Amino acid sequence: MTIFIHELKMKLRSVLVWSFSITALLILFASIFGTVAEEMDLLNEVLANYPPELLAAFGWDNMDMGTVLGFFAFAFSFIQIMISIQAANYGYSLVSVEERELTADFLLAKPLPRRKILTSKLLAALAALWITFAVLCIVSVIAVNGYAEGRSYDGGTLAKVLSSVLFLQLFFLMGGLAVSLLLKKVPSVISISLGTVFGMYVLAAFGSGMGEDTVDYLTPFKHFEATEIVRTGQFDLPKISISIAVIVIAAIASYLLYQRRDIPTV
Amino acid sequence: MNIVLRELKANARSLFFWCVFIVFFIYMGIAKFQAFVSTGQDITAMLESMPQGLMDALQMNAFNLTTITGFFGVMFSYFALMATIFAVLLGNGIIAKEEREKTVEFALTLPIPRSQLVTGKVVAAVVNCILFTLVMWGGSYVSAQPYNPDTEFFQFLTMMIGSIFILELVFLAVGVLLGAAMKDYKRSGSVAVFLLLFTFILSIVSGMSENLEFTKYLSPFTYFAPLTLMNESKFEPLSLGLSAAIVVVSLIAAYMAYSKRDLYI
Repeated sequence: MTIFIHELKMKLRSVLVWSFSITALLILFASIFGTVAEEMDLLNEVLANYPPELLAAFGWDNMDMGTVLGFFAFAFSFIQIMISIQAANYGYSLVSVEERELTADFLLAKPLPRRKILTSKLLAALAALWITFAVLCIVSVIAVNGYAEGRSYDGGTLAKVLSSVLFLQLFFLMGGLAVSLLLKKVPSVISISLGTVFGMYVLAAFGSGMGEDTVDYLTPFKHFEATEIVRTGQFDLPKISISIAVIVIAAIASYLLYQRRDIPTV
Repeated sequence: MNIVLRELKANARSLFFWCVFIVFFIYMGIAKFQAFVSTGQDITAMLESMPQGLMDALQMNAFNLTTITGFFGVMFSYFALMATIFAVLLGNGIIAKEEREKTVEFALTLPIPRSQLVTGKVVAAVVNCILFTLVMWGGSYVSAQPYNPDTEFFQFLTMMIGSIFILELVFLAVGVLLGAAMKDYKRSGSVAVFLLLFTFILSIVSGMSENLEFTKYLSPFTYFAPLTLMNESKFEPLSLGLSAAIVVVSLIAAYMAYSKRDLYI
């Protein structure tokens, strides 16, 4: 419990900054919805004249920024990136920070088994992530209702889009933790977490051009693509199960690896 | 000189990974381009009928995606984003890592003034940026070959790589400043990246709505619009001036801050 509280306290400022930036971004997007919605009506007329195969090549066949949730999905892809960077940061630094700051031997000398230390740390990171998630949900609902101005939308779909964040958080937290334990040393958390998240994002954004479905399975951004959830109204279960499998494997691997990790003394 | 060499060596591995990443990215982009070309349709008319704000939002602009020049025009902002992330982390890390790795006492007991240490580090970082940009240029050049690029393409590629390099220098300087001036070395990296992403998103949004037009000068990313680069083949003097000003002011502030820095040991 002591570790949990200490960890959570350490993360408090970071949670505040992330929540604040997510709020600011959502407000920014909500403020431009009016302009975009007008232009979208115009665009839809234009697009109606083009062959569907061509639109598919550009990924414009299911783009609908004129609707409340269609626009939200567009904005939400940026939110997903931010949330993922936050989670990856926490994951990569969870254990490695102690070794970098030379406090690992102090922590491990406490009369607690390593698995309990790891559990406390993980729970604290999860609590921090969930606080951010709660803020995101509240702000999203307010923002959507604000810019919708009476246009109707499906609340269930909105909830599904929002809950995709929970999976992404776990994916990058657990994945980051497992990778950080596989490495001997994590020199810079921010570089490696940005590399992971943007790498995954680029795969999701450009992979479809390779004409193969293989990349779709590799990156969680494809498993939880907001535009897809809005279009179909449901999760893509086979793809999601891949993400869940990665989360479970990473969690088990982390406990095993941490149990046997060689901690350099100072 | 020793510091420059030492830093170059220390950053070689990270530079290598970044280069691999950018080459991979170019490869993915070209694969996507292949898909566009194979639809075999002229989409110029379609793109021209698009509403401007939306095109800005999608970072598409009025490029003809079925020509290699138009495609690189669309890829411009992705390249710029990667390159600046590389630069800002490099600039920040090269200063902040000494405290992170507890080597700052050692580095500062060397018989040289602090300013010289910073100079060595900045020189090494600039060399890294040059190498990275060259790899990006080479990768783009080679990958464009199968698509019969014309002189217009090479002109645009030169302009594009040139502006990306300027953006790299801008963010490198900002990174160095944050590394030197921020008290908390642990937070300076995140702040640097946060600032970068914020200005990047601002550059997207400022194009989408007229109300946000005034934010244009706040973000270096808006200084170099790919469409203008393509049509006019020259940099705007104002953009160059603003970029140079940011670099100079940041570096001067960084030197001043670092010479008085209270070290975290």
